[in-house]
Amino acid sequence: MAEIKKKEEKARSVDPACEEVFATCEESPVGFSWDRLAKQQPQCGFGMKGQCCRICSMGPCRVMPDKEKYKYGVCGVDVDTVAARNFVRMIAGGAAAHSDHGRGVAETFLAAAKGEAKGYEIKDEQKLLQLALDFGVEIGDRAMQDIAIEVGEKALSIFGEQHGPIPFIKRAPLKRQEIWKQHSMEPRGVDREVVEIMHRTHMGVDQDPVNLMQQGSRCALADGWGGSMVATELQDVMFGTPQPIIGECNLGVLKEDEVNIVIHGHEPTLSEMVMVVSQAPEMIEKAKKKGAKGINLGGICCSANEILMRHGVPNVGNFLQQELALATGAVDLMAVDVQCIMDALPRIAKQYHTKFITTNYRAKMSGAEHIQFDEDHAEEIARKIVEMAIENYPNRGTTHIPQTTNTLVAGFSHETINYLLGGVFRAAYKPLNDNIINGRIRGIAGVVGCNNPKTVHDSAHIALVKELIANDVIVLQTGCSALAAAKAGLMLPEAAKEAGKGLAEVCEAVGIPPVLHMGSCVDNSRILMAATAVVKEGGLGDDISDLPAAGAAPEWMSEKAISIGHYFVASGVYTVFGTTWPTAGAPGFTDLLFNKYEQIVGGKWDFAQEPSEMARKMIEQIDNKRAALGIDKAKERVLYDMAMRRELDAG
Amino acid sequence: MGEKKIKKERWDGSEVEILGETYEEGLPEEPIRWRSKLGDRQQMLRYLQSGERYWFSNDWYGSERRKTPA
Repeated sequence: MAEIKKKEEKARSVDPACEEVFATCEESPVGFSWDRLAKQQPQCGFGMKGQCCRICSMGPCRVMPDKEKYKYGVCGVDVDTVAARNFVRMIAGGAAAHSDHGRGVAETFLAAAKGEAKGYEIKDEQKLLQLALDFGVEIGDRAMQDIAIEVGEKALSIFGEQHGPIPFIKRAPLKRQEIWKQHSMEPRGVDREVVEIMHRTHMGVDQDPVNLMQQGSRCALADGWGGSMVATELQDVMFGTPQPIIGECNLGVLKEDEVNIVIHGHEPTLSEMVMVVSQAPEMIEKAKKKGAKGINLGGICCSANEILMRHGVPNVGNFLQQELALATGAVDLMAVDVQCIMDALPRIAKQYHTKFITTNYRAKMSGAEHIQFDEDHAEEIARKIVEMAIENYPNRGTTHIPQTTNTLVAGFSHETINYLLGGVFRAAYKPLNDNIINGRIRGIAGVVGCNNPKTVHDSAHIALVKELIANDVIVLQTGCSALAAAKAGLMLPEAAKEAGKGLAEVCEAVGIPPVLHMGSCVDNSRILMAATAVVKEGGLGDDISDLPAAGAAPEWMSEKAISIGHYFVASGVYTVFGTTWPTAGAPGFTDLLFNKYEQIVGGKWDFAQEPSEMARKMIEQIDNKRAALGIDKAKERVLYDMAMRRELDAG
Repeated sequence: MGEKKIKKERWDGSEVEILGETYEEGLPEEPIRWRSKLGDRQQMLRYLQSGERYWFSNDWYGSERRKTPA
């Protein structure tokens, strides 16, 4: 398990646009993540399997359960506790990343509400009112600004909530809330949960894998139903709740004759402002004076998903394409904010003419120019960045822009799905539930996560999604996984022809693709909300764990993916990861996650190397849930006559 | 837009002509801005109670209103 795909296969990506870039770099190798991965072989097997403990300086210890000599670390720790500590620290890292993003958004939101952040405004009043109801903020005839300030303050306070559970968990199905309460998993503020994980995993504190995972669960839930959800909701209020919109993606969206600016990272506060400024007539005029026809803004990773789903701004690529975008030679400026930014980027940028800018004090990089972004001067800073790109346009050398672009429909927030299924008059998830019950739709899958050079780029995402829709499973996607499917043409209504007959019928009737783009990685909180709506609509059980549903991250690589995976598991979802599994060397702890945890929270983890195996496991899970709900067989329709009705038990 | 007819096979095997798809050719140039249909604050709040009733109606909806568990 977890072995790198044999390098003799040579394939690095299934995306023809990537292959075009590789071909142009053959003579003067740039050195991409795939090359560095090959040079790193063999990677540390102890670290890969979760058997390495380097928490104190008596170590590092490699702990192997099947070798008497290495059975225990210097302190006496066994492998299951080592793996559990490593795993919950991964949850803490991921939860912290999402939630610090959410905190940044909350701070910008509050500044905007107070009129201190020029250029930001309340774009979706209805969503603001929704949050006011969630937080118990009085609405009445109060001015929108007053409501926004109070909502902003309440949102910001969620991160430091010390005692009571955070407010958004009340959105979950009642039975789910009961499960969390019963197992002391109701999350407090994510700040406290992360700190508690760091305390418990310090040398000589929590030594019980089950107890460690209880805290891991609480922390992950504080991310999914807390930090991430705050980010999603406040971004919607400030920038608009996503609605269906057509967009273009892949490296071919870069333009030969325009100034290309690429925003990479995760927070939309910067990308939104750069988008506004780059379209200002005076900026376009400046670009023309430098010989360009205009300004072309594109994104990488989730900053890209944010502006794609709200404005249709082209998405240049997903995680493993960040280096390739620079290697086209056509990027005049790349500005990055936080998360998933490869350390190699400034070095690669130097091989071309690209200006490489960091913008967040949390994420500085040697070799990059730093322009600190702050919401008080957002427009001014965005203007400076755009002007730098324009100035750099004449310095371009030879370019190799792949001619591949793909079209997709993005913007399927859970509110929009609700609307599309019933209109404003009677928005509802009922048509979805009905079609799950009648079997046209077999189940629901969330396919999310990153890329990882250990798996052929995009191959597992695409193969898995195709297999699922062919088996009538509707797929909800976010992040880099969403972009992989978009590049394969699966996010267009026409993709219904690749779906099974039942799912295709539903997609054609509603006019939606069989694979729905729900946003960035913090927007996995939208999938939680959609799942909750399906439960609350009725007919499919009382809890998320009753649903014929499953989750997957076939090409995951980051701690954020582990946090996301675990808040889905702790919310009752069977979740399968691919590529590699970080506790594989700890049989007891892995058994807890893969088997016993289901008895505690209703969801569990699993691993599958190949996408076909992953699809098989997910469909098997969906079928088991259908059987438990009694909707696994077509029922004969019986017309009751009066005598039969009288026999019915009225009680 | 003119009516488009398509031929389909009926349950008894005979051929019938029915109304075909009515959507316009090509890709839409504008997003579906359905949220702009919600006009003033009262409409927005009403929509929350009806459309987003899973969370904002006066009583719980669907499975959570059920008297006996599934």
